[in-house]
Amino acid sequence: MDSIIFYILEGANTTLRIFFVTLIFAIPLSILFAIGKIAGGKIIKGILDIYTWLLRGTPLMLQIFFVFYGIPQLTGIKLDRNLAADLAFIINYTAYFTEIFRAGILSIERGQFEASKALGLSYPQTMWRIIMPQAFKRVLPPVGNEFITLIKDTSLVMVIAIPDIMRNTKEIVSREASPETFIIAAIIYLILTYGIVFIFSKSEKKLSYYD
Amino acid sequence: MKVVKLINIQKSFGGVKALQGIDLVINKGEIVSIIGPSGSGKSTLLRCINHLEKIEQGGIEVFEIPIATTNDGQKTKYIPERELRKIIQRVGMVFQSFNLFPHKSVLGNIMEAQLTVKKTLPAEARQIALELLSKVGLEDKENAYPSQLSGGQKQRVAIARALAMRPEIMLFDEPTSALDPELIGEVLQVIQKLAQEHMTMIIVTHEMAFAREISNRVIFMDEGKIIEDGKPEDIFVNPVHPRIKTFIERMI
Repeated sequence: MDSIIFYILEGANTTLRIFFVTLIFAIPLSILFAIGKIAGGKIIKGILDIYTWLLRGTPLMLQIFFVFYGIPQLTGIKLDRNLAADLAFIINYTAYFTEIFRAGILSIERGQFEASKALGLSYPQTMWRIIMPQAFKRVLPPVGNEFITLIKDTSLVMVIAIPDIMRNTKEIVSREASPETFIIAAIIYLILTYGIVFIFSKSEKKLSYYD
Repeated sequence: MKVVKLINIQKSFGGVKALQGIDLVINKGEIVSIIGPSGSGKSTLLRCINHLEKIEQGGIEVFEIPIATTNDGQKTKYIPERELRKIIQRVGMVFQSFNLFPHKSVLGNIMEAQLTVKKTLPAEARQIALELLSKVGLEDKENAYPSQLSGGQKQRVAIARALAMRPEIMLFDEPTSALDPELIGEVLQVIQKLAQEHMTMIIVTHEMAFAREISNRVIFMDEGKIIEDGKPEDIFVNPVHPRIKTFIERMI
């Protein structure tokens, strides 16, 4: 039993690595892209629109396959499977976060921009000091949802044979015919997602100081 | 000094003409009220002065610096953004809906532009903010958040926030229109105080008694044009134009 749990937890390393790597890249990128969609010129906007449409409009599993099998065949560049998984998750989640941040920024009243401008703040100053802090608070619930989905989506990497929680679980189940292993995996996912729920509800409370 | 000079400015919104060739000069120390029916272009005129609206024809000079010019048959040209910002900093604006920064305390609201735009040191910015708070009668609210204030208090903080930049002219865009009647007085008192200090002001308002009392010049606008421009007694007692008479009778 102990060794089963230990083996699954080894898979949790992969799950957590993809989770953090994705967030570290996707969040800053998506903030930039969201601003690009709002304030950028026609070309930037057009490119970003196509990007979010493609990445949100096709299955993540297809994107993982494409990065791992498709890109090497098209370009000759061979990608390590972990790197391929990370890349696929980053480009996919950046698309979703871009739309969330865009909606958050657009939900801020025009008066906030006008007051900032009238005081002489530049556009970057207005964004970082006035608009973004308010937008962050508003998008906290949908961002929390994405974090939870991301934890669960990492299980898709088993399709390119990366040993994550799900793949290790399935391996044990087929080797030892022990369906209760699924329950152990479920509990690990639940602990991880509960951690996210907990952190987000704390953050929401913390940011409610000005309601 | 000519604080503001508008030369035949025109502005439309989706084909509807909001300003139809406005010429106007505001001199230092003048307190000008702009009155007129809703949709007459009063707010738009005010917002053109600090570039919240872009004009389509004509010219604008602020502090005798041309910020927008139109050559014959060409599109209106504005000076570069960076230079424009330097001029806008010297123009204070108070909005109908306050537009305080909700995530910042009262003190934070008043310090924000001092710190980011003027690069004032925090201690000094704080000192200025506290002085202005006592000027608008809210010295006990420095740590409150906007959501904890009444409308009248919010507007007084907004005035303090604008004054913190040491503006050379203040624009008031219907500063009391969003307030409950019992809260209007406290805001008008603060504006009155500024008048006593000879702050140059342009006030778009529906408070006729206040406009008459505080201004040394009143402008009546209708359908995007200035119909009459004169001393308060001229406008309120002997208006030349019959439309002004009807308007004022209805408002009082």
